[in-house]
Amino acid sequence: MKAREFMRRDLTSVELDTTVAEVIYLMEQSGLSSLPVLDDEGVLVGVISEKDLIRAALPGYLEMLHSASFLPSLNQLTRRLREMADQPVSEYMRSDVIFVRPDDEDLQIADTLIRHELKQVPVVDEQGHLVGVIRRIDLLYHLI
Amino acid sequence: MILTVTLNPTLDKFYWVDRLPLSLERVEEEILIRARKASSSAGGKGINVSVFLACMGLETVAMGFLAGHTGQIILRDVLARGVTANFVWIEGETRTNVTIIERGREYHPVKIHEEGPPVPKRAVELFLRKYQRMLKRAEYVVLGGALPPGIPVDFYRELASLAREQGLRTVVHAGGAALKAALEAGPYFVKPDVREASQVADLPAKTEQEIIAAGKYTMEKGVQVCLISHHVTGDILITPEGVWELQARVPLSRYKNLVGADDALVAGVLYRLVEGDPLLDAVKFGMAAAIASAEIEPKLCLAKPAIEQEMKEVEVVRKEGG
Repeated sequence: MKAREFMRRDLTSVELDTTVAEVIYLMEQSGLSSLPVLDDEGVLVGVISEKDLIRAALPGYLEMLHSASFLPSLNQLTRRLREMADQPVSEYMRSDVIFVRPDDEDLQIADTLIRHELKQVPVVDEQGHLVGVIRRIDLLYHLI
Repeated sequence: MILTVTLNPTLDKFYWVDRLPLSLERVEEEILIRARKASSSAGGKGINVSVFLACMGLETVAMGFLAGHTGQIILRDVLARGVTANFVWIEGETRTNVTIIERGREYHPVKIHEEGPPVPKRAVELFLRKYQRMLKRAEYVVLGGALPPGIPVDFYRELASLAREQGLRTVVHAGGAALKAALEAGPYFVKPDVREASQVADLPAKTEQEIIAAGKYTMEKGVQVCLISHHVTGDILITPEGVWELQARVPLSRYKNLVGADDALVAGVLYRLVEGDPLLDAVKFGMAAAIASAEIEPKLCLAKPAIEQEMKEVEVVRKEGG
């Protein structure tokens, strides 16, 4: 089955000048752990995830993604996140975006998700426009 | 692609009851009304149009503002129906509109409509950027429903003007001051909402003559197609070429749920126009979609054969022109 047949047609996204505070707010509201970043033409130019934000706030301490036991408190993270709050997402997003096409087959998409350890992957058309997203759960739900 | 805008979406909640109390006055104890059936679905005029069009196989994107837990339910429902969603998230809770339908009085439902959360200025800016981007991929734009708090009354005019600059046809399915302002942008097709006040741009629109005069006023503003409700089972179509009355030969007793019938009408017309049908045929199909939707308990009839069957019940009478 092709991506277009089971992708989630949700275009929730942010723009290059969206602030970090707005990104965190949108992630909380939408329940998404990563968001596509679009340019003025709606072309996918990046992805920002919770992991990217934590990495930016606490560089060198990525292990906290697995355990926060080594930290005396979260004060450092709070202070850094507040410093980042008004900065544009373009400063922290990943530009080497992994994506799939609407006509890609489910097996190919499963391989992309597993190989790159992604929770979700954007779906873009030939012009680079975002047309949907496929989460791991969408694939599992489709396969069962 | 057809872009629909629902600035104040709603979770439409329906309760079907056997009997409502005759009067709420002089009641000393609380009133308990047991529903024999309940259902809920994503709603708001634009969303309803998108749901219908997606079911007919057209590509459609729904835009607007969502908030909170109710917003999540609406998003999930919209996506499940094949509609592409591109909403801006705001603080608060998207509204819920309740309709209570009493057995035997299905055409006189009791409705409770919430106001909806206020939309902050920053969210409006984000929406406008998304909207302008989506216009580049659209053929038609549908602007539908009430404006939420925080949205300027002339917002539909701005949206219709932006669509017009892109050479797109705009459909405005709204009432009151929002419609009046939108007319200044000369939309292609208007379906005035006359439920709360029988008026179109401050002009009375109750009698046949008043409706025709109001429709002709919209033509002066550049509108090409104006459809105005006339009684429960009829509509009057006004175009620069003439005036037609559309009448459904269906007794009121056959109606089970009138909510959404107007949206099915707009969506049906649009669907057939996109498919290349002449206007009168498209309007006839739209009217049939409205009747078919009103005759079932779910909000929208999404079965094309049932709609085509209802076309036999639609009578079109030329009143003026041609």
